[in-house]
Amino acid sequence: MITRFITEVSATFNPFLPRAKTARLFLSFLPPNARQTMKIDTKLLPKTSRESSFIQLKFKDGKQMKLDAEKLGIKGVVEEVDRHSRILSRQEELNGN
Amino acid sequence: MPPRIHPPSRTICSLREPQRSTPRQRQYATATAITPAASYGQMTASSPPIARHPPTQPPSYKPPEFRKSQLLRQYASLLKSTPLILLFQHNNLKANEWVGIRRELSAALQKVNAVRAAAGHTAEPLADAIKMQIIQTGIFAAALRVVEFYKPESQSSSSSIDPTDPATPSSATVPVFSSSGDGLTHTLSRAAHEAVADTRTAHALAPLLSGPLCLLTFPSVSPQHMKAALSILSPSPPKFPAPTRRANPGWHDAAIQSGLQKLLLLGARVEGKVFDVDGAKWVGSIDGGLEGLRAQLVAMLTSVGGGVTNTLESAGRSIYFTVEGRRTMLEDEQKEASGEMPKKP
Repeated sequence: MITRFITEVSATFNPFLPRAKTARLFLSFLPPNARQTMKIDTKLLPKTSRESSFIQLKFKDGKQMKLDAEKLGIKGVVEEVDRHSRILSRQEELNGN
Repeated sequence: MPPRIHPPSRTICSLREPQRSTPRQRQYATATAITPAASYGQMTASSPPIARHPPTQPPSYKPPEFRKSQLLRQYASLLKSTPLILLFQHNNLKANEWVGIRRELSAALQKVNAVRAAAGHTAEPLADAIKMQIIQTGIFAAALRVVEFYKPESQSSSSSIDPTDPATPSSATVPVFSSSGDGLTHTLSRAAHEAVADTRTAHALAPLLSGPLCLLTFPSVSPQHMKAALSILSPSPPKFPAPTRRANPGWHDAAIQSGLQKLLLLGARVEGKVFDVDGAKWVGSIDGGLEGLRAQLVAMLTSVGGGVTNTLESAGRSIYFTVEGRRTMLEDEQKEASGEMPKKP
């Protein structure tokens, strides 16, 4: 997963639901130095809550993304993030950096 | 006159020309004649009273030489021996961050030990036994299922027969020890495997067991140690304040701080019950631990008892005062009377 262009992550999930696995895996996919390069905000819901888990992302170009983690699955989430990140990396290359 | 040398018998012919002989199983008739054959019952039913394996290594259903079999055993014994477990998710911590976190944790726990020793608690110090370890989630889930859902009935009479005891009759059936491993009840046995085969999602902790996970295990439920550990690992200001920079400068190191940001408390398992983060914090906030709770209960009961005895006593005491007052009054009258009496004669 390309994480260079993410500036802000906020994940909300109830770990006691099996579907929260996606959000938790997404957090574990971020690199070890992620806390220095982006703002990460994790919110754990109580055990009884039935709210669905979601991930909110902000990119360097200001694009915001709200991903329904339960429906997409971890592969879908990675695909969505990479789709935008590839566009950004191509722009970066064309600008001559 | 017929020739005196007989033509060779059929057996010798076949020995001479083995290529022409039909392939046939050799039969050693003499051998069976010498050794008496075992009876049918002996061959099928009886087993000699010899243990086929050391008692500490019963035959295993899962291949025991695999790492995951041994991990299963290890996790099952961990779950049985540690009533208090905190579950954390670790997101790509580096080695030096792990080292720092473990160091700070053990320092804080040693401090709790010292405080408890100073307060006069005689219980053995726990700090050395509190461990933080990363687990393989799938195998841990299997071990959890074995521990929670597999309850073998108590082994009756199986331990009463000792195969090495000469007094044991040779016809006695040694309980377990069939080569297929029937009747064994340990963690790796076939019985355990089959008992938990269809409980894959039944436990409340099962959804937590995915992704990178580590455990903090306490050998006994000690909220004081838990409070210290929580205030180190996931401080939340009102009840679990982070150590101040003056008291514990090591905790504010960059490596430890970046490691702690990546450590995420998910839940707890306290004496078989599953708690979420708030529940875990509630358990950690019990003042004084189990002894503290007991002391509170005793104090409450004694105060209630004192009240009851006071109420019950008060009636008797008032009667006593009344009677005593009456007695002194009578005595005074008597004195007065006796004081007057000697004057008269």
